[in-house]
Amino acid sequence: MSRTANVGHCLITMLAAIVLLATLGCSSPQSDTVRFALASAPISLDPRFATDATSSRINRLLYQGLVDFDDQFQMIPSLADWQLLSPTVYRFHLRKHGREFEDGSVLSSVDVKATYDYILDPANASPQRGALVNIERIDIVDNDNVDFHLKKADPLFPANLVIGIVPANIIEQGEILNTRSAGSGRFRFVAWPSQGRLIIERRRDGQRIEFIHVQDATVRVLKLMRGEVDILQNDLPRELVHYLQRRDAVQVKHLAGNNFSYLGFNQEDPILKDHRIRQAIAYAVDRQSIIKFLLGGQTVVANSILTPDHWAGLKTAQAYAYNPARARELLQQAGFNAAHPLQLEYKTSNDPFRIRIATIIQQQLARVGITVNLRSFDWATFYGDIKSGRFQMYSLSWVGIKNPNIFRYVFHSQSRPPKGANRGHYSNALIDQLIDQAETSQDLDQRAVIYQQIQQTLLQDLPYVPLWYEEHFVASNDNITGYQLAKDGSYDGLQKLVKLSSRDSSQTSANVLSKRF
Amino acid sequence: MNQYGLSLWVVIIWVLGSIASQWLSLDISGVQLESILNGPSWQHWFGHDDLGRPVLERLLAGSYTSCIVALTVIGFSVIIGTIIGTMSAYLGGMFDLVIVRLIDIFLAFPGILLAIALAGIMGPGIDNVIIALSVVGWVGFARLARAQTLSVKQREHVQAAQALGSRQRKIIFQHLIPLISAPLLVEATFGIASVVIAEAGLSFLGLGVQAPDASWGSMIRDGTRYMLVAPHLVLAPGLALMTVVLAVNLAGDRLRDRLDVRAQSIKGEA
Repeated sequence: MSRTANVGHCLITMLAAIVLLATLGCSSPQSDTVRFALASAPISLDPRFATDATSSRINRLLYQGLVDFDDQFQMIPSLADWQLLSPTVYRFHLRKHGREFEDGSVLSSVDVKATYDYILDPANASPQRGALVNIERIDIVDNDNVDFHLKKADPLFPANLVIGIVPANIIEQGEILNTRSAGSGRFRFVAWPSQGRLIIERRRDGQRIEFIHVQDATVRVLKLMRGEVDILQNDLPRELVHYLQRRDAVQVKHLAGNNFSYLGFNQEDPILKDHRIRQAIAYAVDRQSIIKFLLGGQTVVANSILTPDHWAGLKTAQAYAYNPARARELLQQAGFNAAHPLQLEYKTSNDPFRIRIATIIQQQLARVGITVNLRSFDWATFYGDIKSGRFQMYSLSWVGIKNPNIFRYVFHSQSRPPKGANRGHYSNALIDQLIDQAETSQDLDQRAVIYQQIQQTLLQDLPYVPLWYEEHFVASNDNITGYQLAKDGSYDGLQKLVKLSSRDSSQTSANVLSKRF
Repeated sequence: MNQYGLSLWVVIIWVLGSIASQWLSLDISGVQLESILNGPSWQHWFGHDDLGRPVLERLLAGSYTSCIVALTVIGFSVIIGTIIGTMSAYLGGMFDLVIVRLIDIFLAFPGILLAIALAGIMGPGIDNVIIALSVVGWVGFARLARAQTLSVKQREHVQAAQALGSRQRKIIFQHLIPLISAPLLVEATFGIASVVIAEAGLSFLGLGVQAPDASWGSMIRDGTRYMLVAPHLVLAPGLALMTVVLAVNLAGDRLRDRLDVRAQSIKGEA
């Protein structure tokens, strides 16, 4: 019986420990710093190298690029406006104010040239280089003006110049900004004590923002409710968003996003190169139900990489509505039936939410007679397999796409990795021709028409089965106001965020107390 | 039957449930979007999980996983451990020395860590979990069998068998192992409990059964993400796991009391 007695002792000790921990942890920290919970930690504060979403979003706060985008994803001046001197020469004129680096020096054309020259040097292996290879050379005109000479004309060229400008002296010293930042943005760097904790400060009023990496979604929600963090954005299952919505002290906002989720196919696969199979898959996936029951909010069905409100987006398109009968018919035509079922391997990352969606798609495909073997891998393995074309079918997202040159990057037959992201080895002479035509056209309206034609053709041909644009949401505590969500999921809303100081709230509680006694 | 009480009934239900899960046509991977995370109701006692699959049916499928792993691992461990332990004690000499050192090394290393490392190297999957747990599981039985054999191998009937020229194999299997089987049986029941926990642990870490198959450990892992909104996803497999482990341990306790001659005689005298 001693074993049972031991178990009892253990249980009592554990309960006591839990109660003790719970009482110890009851005081939540109070400070004027805004604590922003992140699902993944920033990796680099150097815009020449940062490519992951979190780093890029934080770098937008710390650095300024020459050009930015408006709500229709049209390019607009940021640090500089531009004028076309000849079809292949752009002159950028830096604006007068608001271009001081963190050390107080003023950003000049020398810094612009140094940043882009660094990225263009193949020896530096910057991941940003691919989009800029059209630059022939960069000439400094004077302190405020800089000329970009292109190899061939491109009316959308300024859209590529969104990379944050790094001070020339840092580039000369060969420093890579992996432990601090040195930008001219609206925020300045304060401290980065550990990978998961980054503190920056708003230049305008000294408001500090602390980014805290909290990996687990439930823990992130609990921390928000306990006031350990003030605000969090995206990366929660819909059920937890609903849970937060029901809390009085938490406010949740939603916004339609432009992150495009899709199913990709290997076009060199003997089965999947058949257009009917891809169509059958498009008809077999019930996107509306998945959105309704799993994604919710402002998530909408997608037809193309660009959203309909993009200036070159597909405005009206006949989407593939859920039609299992049509899917079965197409499979039958392609020679697959119950006796000879179609079997596919479907790769996805091991993120629980991605696996959840993939399992549902697997089930929906099973209903029309496609046996899907679902394989999930850690991100590095999965992404490596996708980039090197080792897949039959996979699902992934394009994040924050604004420039229609994405079509060349993803669908042109010359863009196979490592040159581009045509990972499924898609090859369509008509698409190639249209992409070339769009890029040589000088008139933006005409360009938009050609890009829409490209998207219509892609929707017919289905190198990707478009799924949806996932929504963005932000949840914050009551003491946070003024944060606006951005369509691309950036953290730019932090520029206008206001945190009602803890002094206000403690004064309020003191008043309440004095009234009571 | 009475003295085994509730614990034996729980064990019987566990085993019957796992057998039944193979006979009933359970739909453990049928996704139902409209019932995602629904709580318990009269039709579905344990509610639905994050893909709208009924938790009760997955719980039954999970009981099969834990039962089959526990029985196979303990089966392998008992056979291998007993043979090695008995032979080591009976033969003695260099062979015994090597085996004792080997057992010491295994025992000095945390078993579950070794199992995690093995399952990690061999890749996830239920068969690899069985192998990994058996590799660390035989040691306890070998040590016990060796100690027991040392205490009985000098008895007269063994000496008589040796004098009569019986073969070593016959002596080990007919004269030694039957005598030491009682403590091994008790050890095996406790072993079952720890293997159930270990399998759940490995599945929790993603090294056990792979989706869409169910295991209590992987159900708990999947459920933790929805603990705030659907606690039944964690509670159902968690309580099942706790109940089974507790019941197996208690049943083992009772079995030990029953097989212990001294305890029986003290009881008889009182």
